[in-house]
Formats: sequence, structure tokens, C-alpha cells
Amino acid sequence: MIIYLNGEEKSVPQNGLTVLELLSQVGVNSPETVSVQVNGQFVEKDVYGHTILKDGDEVDFLYFMGGG
Amino acid sequence: MKGFNTIAIHSGAGKRDPHGTLRMPVYDTVAFEFENARAIQLAFEMKAPAHSYSRISNPTVEFFEERIRSLTGARGVIAVSSGMAAISNIILALAETGTNIITTRYVFGNTYSLFEHTLKPWGLEVRYLDLREYEALEGTIDEKTRAIFLETITNPQLQVIDVDKIAQIAAKFQVPVILDGTVTTPYLFRAKDHGVAVEVISSTKFISGGATAVGGLIIDTGNQNWQFCPRLKEAARKYGPYALIMHLRREVYRNLGACLSPHNAYLQTLGLETLGLRIEKSCQNALTVAMFLKSRPEVGEVNYPGLEDSPYHEVAKRQFGGRFGGILTFTLKDQAACFQFIDRLTLIKRSTNINDNKTLIIHPASTIFCEYTEEEKKALGVPANMLRVSVGIEDVEDLIEDLKRGFGTP
Repeated sequence: MIIYLNGEEKSVPQNGLTVLELLSQVGVNSPETVSVQVNGQFVEKDVYGHTILKDGDEVDFLYFMGGG
Repeated sequence: MKGFNTIAIHSGAGKRDPHGTLRMPVYDTVAFEFENARAIQLAFEMKAPAHSYSRISNPTVEFFEERIRSLTGARGVIAVSSGMAAISNIILALAETGTNIITTRYVFGNTYSLFEHTLKPWGLEVRYLDLREYEALEGTIDEKTRAIFLETITNPQLQVIDVDKIAQIAAKFQVPVILDGTVTTPYLFRAKDHGVAVEVISSTKFISGGATAVGGLIIDTGNQNWQFCPRLKEAARKYGPYALIMHLRREVYRNLGACLSPHNAYLQTLGLETLGLRIEKSCQNALTVAMFLKSRPEVGEVNYPGLEDSPYHEVAKRQFGGRFGGILTFTLKDQAACFQFIDRLTLIKRSTNINDNKTLIIHPASTIFCEYTEEEKKALGVPANMLRVSVGIEDVEDLIEDLKRGFGTP
């Protein structure tokens, strides 16, 4: 499926990919330091593992580089 | 990980060090190199996990911030160069000319000076109240109120306010409560669980682990909906729950430049690991010292929330889990008697700091509050016959022996 990560098209191999799995795929080892928006809505950190991405989703990561 | 001490020692190790070091190194550098132009663009847009310039972020400082975030369950943490930098940053982030904040005169002397002498001329109205008068507080909040500011235990008056009650009133008006938790730290008081919006801390004190380095913390607990704060409306629209952190990181904190040095972040991370052990000992010692002073005929009053006859004992006991901090005050006959007492001491240090490993003593009226008139000192609760003791973690028998020396008795 295709998602748009920080405005750039990205092909991901599986359906049912969670935000947490996406973070891992792009090499983010400390997901607690990233805030994530899916289609403009902020996702709480404690549900990254349960938030499933769909084809065409716009995903934006913001890195605060320290403590949130 | 659930325990405070375990988190203080083990959290924040998400990035693998190339050498497998067990301690975050000091990244003593200003700038960081990027692979290409796009990479540096993404870093500036905060869309890539990269540091660019140490006034804005630094790996060693980030590690300290992340450890504090883990300990507090906060939305976000920013480490700054001092406790006063934390207070000035947060007030400048939330308030503006023509607005007001509500506080008490019983705040740290430099905080009072910041409000009265630095921010007032810029057009910020500071409304002082007795924060135990809840109806008066409710009547003082208006549409221009941008924050309520208080300390967990005021210094040096040692007043303890019921934070839950203040937070309940503030919530009715969507006004954020800013709490200075320097003397309690998240070990004694978890601000997030008491409705506080932002906790500020001088990490110079308990956290630094023995007065090793100056530093401060701004902790967004995650309790406040920032869209109701006029200064943050635009940030809330763009960044949702991260509005305050982004407003600070991308504007106020970045532009004021009061960043924590990597060296100080390293020392404070080190201090944090033993924070729980040191606070426990300091609180035990302070209670013993308070009871000793109370038994002395030379002493007028002993002010320590841990004493059962303190008017703040019950609220402090409830809020701080039966521990009452490391600071106490007591009165002697007059200022001359205070000076004589201080000068007789040989172990306890004559110093202005608090919550060091060492026990420290000071005469607040002639030092921290020396710029104020006698009338102001009276209003601020700082009489000329009062001494402040910050009780450290020594063997308490040695402290008692030195205090006896202060009284001129064996």
C-alpha cells in the first residue's frame, strides 16, 4: 500500500501496518520522542501500536529531539 | 519499569551507543554535520530525528530530558540553563502585555523579583493573593489571566498550598497552573496527578546531586488543553497537544537562548540516579533537626511542615506521601543572635543554596531579601530573626552536634 510520510510517497509492503511498526521501519528506535499525525490528527503515544494505517494515509512525524 | 529509582537509573537508553557505553557521553559540541542538503532541511523542519545546533537541542541534554519525561509521565520536557530560566521561559510563552498572572507573595525571592521588577515594566500584571483563600482566587481570575503560579513548599516561608484545590479552580476557567516543584521534585510530588499544567524545577537543587551544576526544567504534564490559552491558539491548531512544547522549542526557548550545557546535563543525569535515596535521607534528617530545634529554649518558632503543629502538616502529609522536604526555618531573639549562631558553626556551611548534600544555613533577611524594605520583608514573611537551614544527607548526630555548637553549648 501507499502512504504519504512527511509529504513524500512511500510504498509499504504490508496491510495492517501500525504506526509503531512504521516508526521501526524507518529506523526510529525511540518512538516516545516522536509525535505522529495521521491525516492531520495527533495520535497518542500509548496507541501507536494499535493504530493501523490505511492505503493513502498522510502520516507526519515531528521530532522534538528530547523529552517530547 | 515502574519504580522511581529504577526509571531514574535505566530509562532513556533508546539509542545504541557505538561503543556500548553504559553512560550517555558528553556531546560537547555546538553543531552537527548532515549527509546532504535535504537532510538538514528535514532536521530544521523537525521531520527527521537529528540535532543541528546545541542551543536548540543536544544529545546529552536530550537524554536528560527524556529521563525526566519517563519519570514524570509528561507530554514533554525542556531542560534549560537554570530554574529562573524555566520560570521566565514559561511566563513569556503564556503571557503578554496587558494580561495577568496570579500568584502569592510567598515565592522564591528571585521569582518575586522577576515578576515585580522584570516583567511588570513590560506590562504584565501580577496579582498577589493568599492562595489558601479559594473564593478570592476564583474572583480574581478573569479573561486576561494567563496562569496561576505557585510553589509546592514556599521558600523560605514553607507554606504548603492544596494544589488539587487550586487546580480545580483553575480548570473551571481553563487557566493553566504552573507549579515550581524544586524542593519536592517528582519523587515527592507527581504534578501530573494533581491537575498541574506545567511544572518548573530548578534542577540545580535536589536533582544535580550535590550542587554540581546549575540547571532547570520545564515539564508539560499533558493535563492542559492548550487551545484555550490565547498565546497558544495557533500552535494548538498546528501541533495539537504538543502546542506548548513546540511554541517553546520553535520560538521562546530557542530565541531566549537559555539552553542547558551538555556538561551540566551529564552531571544532572548522574544526580538524578540517586535522587530518591538522597531525598529520603534529607527528609529524615530535617525532621530530626526540626524536633531538636523545637526542644531548645533559645528558639522561638520552628517552621517545618513535618512537625505536627505546623498549619501545613496535614496537606503536606497528603501531598508528599509523609515526607516533608529538606528545608526548615527557626527564629532566635534577633538578627545579632542569628549571626552569632551562624558564625559558631563548623560543619554546617554558610551558603545560599538549598537541597545540597551538605547542610547549609543562611539568614534570608540580610541576603536573599536584602534589596527589600523592612515593610516588604514583613509582607514576604521574612523576619530579621529567622534562619533557614537546608538539611543535607550527613549523619544526623553530627548535625545536632554542630547545632549545639551554634547555641554555644557542648
